[in-house]
Amino acid sequence: MFKTTLAALALVAMLPLTAAAHGPSRQKVSQSIEINAPADKVWAAIGKFQDMSWHPAIAKTEGSGDNGTGAKRKLTLKSGGTIEEALTSYKADTKTYAYEITAVDVKVLPVSNYSSSIRVSGEGAKSTVEWKGAFYRGYVNNDPPPELNDEAAIAAVTGVYKAGLDALKAKLEAGG
Amino acid sequence: MRASPHSAKPAAWFAAGIVFMLVFIATAAPAAEFAYVTNQGSETVSVVELKSFKSTAEIKVPGKPAGIARSARLSQIYVTAPDSHDVAVIDTATNTILRRIKTGGGPVGIAAHPTSGLIYVADWHSNTLAVVDPQAGRVLQTIEVGQSPSGVAISSDGSTILTADRDSDFVSIIDAKTHTRRVQIKVGTRPFGVTLSSDGTRAYTANVGSDDVTVIDLAASAVIATVPVGRRPYAVALTPSHAFVTDQYGGTVTVFDLATNKPVQTIEVGDHPEGIAYDAQTGNIYVACWFDNDLVRIDAVARTVTGKAKVGDGPRAFGDFLH
Repeated sequence: MFKTTLAALALVAMLPLTAAAHGPSRQKVSQSIEINAPADKVWAAIGKFQDMSWHPAIAKTEGSGDNGTGAKRKLTLKSGGTIEEALTSYKADTKTYAYEITAVDVKVLPVSNYSSSIRVSGEGAKSTVEWKGAFYRGYVNNDPPPELNDEAAIAAVTGVYKAGLDALKAKLEAGG
Repeated sequence: MRASPHSAKPAAWFAAGIVFMLVFIATAAPAAEFAYVTNQGSETVSVVELKSFKSTAEIKVPGKPAGIARSARLSQIYVTAPDSHDVAVIDTATNTILRRIKTGGGPVGIAAHPTSGLIYVADWHSNTLAVVDPQAGRVLQTIEVGQSPSGVAISSDGSTILTADRDSDFVSIIDAKTHTRRVQIKVGTRPFGVTLSSDGTRAYTANVGSDDVTVIDLAASAVIATVPVGRRPYAVALTPSHAFVTDQYGGTVTVFDLATNKPVQTIEVGDHPEGIAYDAQTGNIYVACWFDNDLVRIDAVARTVTGKAKVGDGPRAFGDFLH
């Protein structure tokens, strides 16, 4: 039973990769924001993979593995859905980490095969946060319904990034 | 005293050797002048002049262009457009599309035969390789290969064609005369790009699913090594001594030694490096970075990034893109 479940999980994990081969092309979103706070302070706010409380849509972060490669986290959204993610690279020296979504319902975020990175740079009292994502739309075959097409995927990811970066700026510039 | 009559002779031989070498180089591989970079997002091909390392023109190619091949004799390049299910034949003298050839399905990988003038197009949907006459503008026949064929490579003597059959985890080896598949060789998980050594003895597949490169001995039809590289490798370029592999998720190029099949270095290049090619004349490697919209130049000996040129949105440059 356990073996079957594992095999089924492995199969599901491979699905986006297979399906992405057919039809759609990969999309990208990049959003950045300037914050009137030193880069160290910004990194202290967002550089913990196990704590995504800085994003206003996130109700809860649960996970394991700290900031190590392969660390896992499960985000519970205030709207109720969940997103499971894995850390693929963590570089404190360049204030960058990269991660992938390992499980998400397209009703929560209409994407598949999603990978992302977030980076803080800056000098003195100013910094820039850049958040980038690469992904396929939620519907992996040809002729997607409008809620699962390329535009819907780009709009959803852009919305997540903007909301997060705006809230981060507001919080840090308010001295939080 | 006795040295001088002897030294004159080697000098003459040396000079003759240089002349021979220059002639050989000129006939064997004329220097590439341009990189033709397929930009999937902006649906264009950027023409980057290699000397100034600047984009000098942009050709509109609707249909999410991805794969690219070049003619060895004509001033033509061939670009696959998966979204419009065809191949664009582009005249590089005028940078205009001469014709578009319907192949159907999802054409991705493409390679041009060194002597026959035919091009070979992998169709991701129908699991076939189309044999196309780009001057007549039609598909002559299709060859059955594995599932979701992606990369295509042809040996420099023109005898053998390889496809990386991504969803079968196989490389198909096809006889270019009879257009039949001779053998399938099991490689790593989800091979995408496939590259042949210039002497045709070795093939290298970039395996997206297992983060490694499979090295195949073609005479023996056997895998002789599996080399670990960075995350989600896309394609392989070969110098006489080393392989350079793009790691899409790693943002790096992994370099490994062809004699030992061991990684020797990782070079940071940019976000989502994909298509990669080697220019033997200048000793430069060129890499398309899909996220950053850059063509990155690497000195293959020093193994350092020596320049970046802006291209269109979402460059893939999957294939032989130097011309």
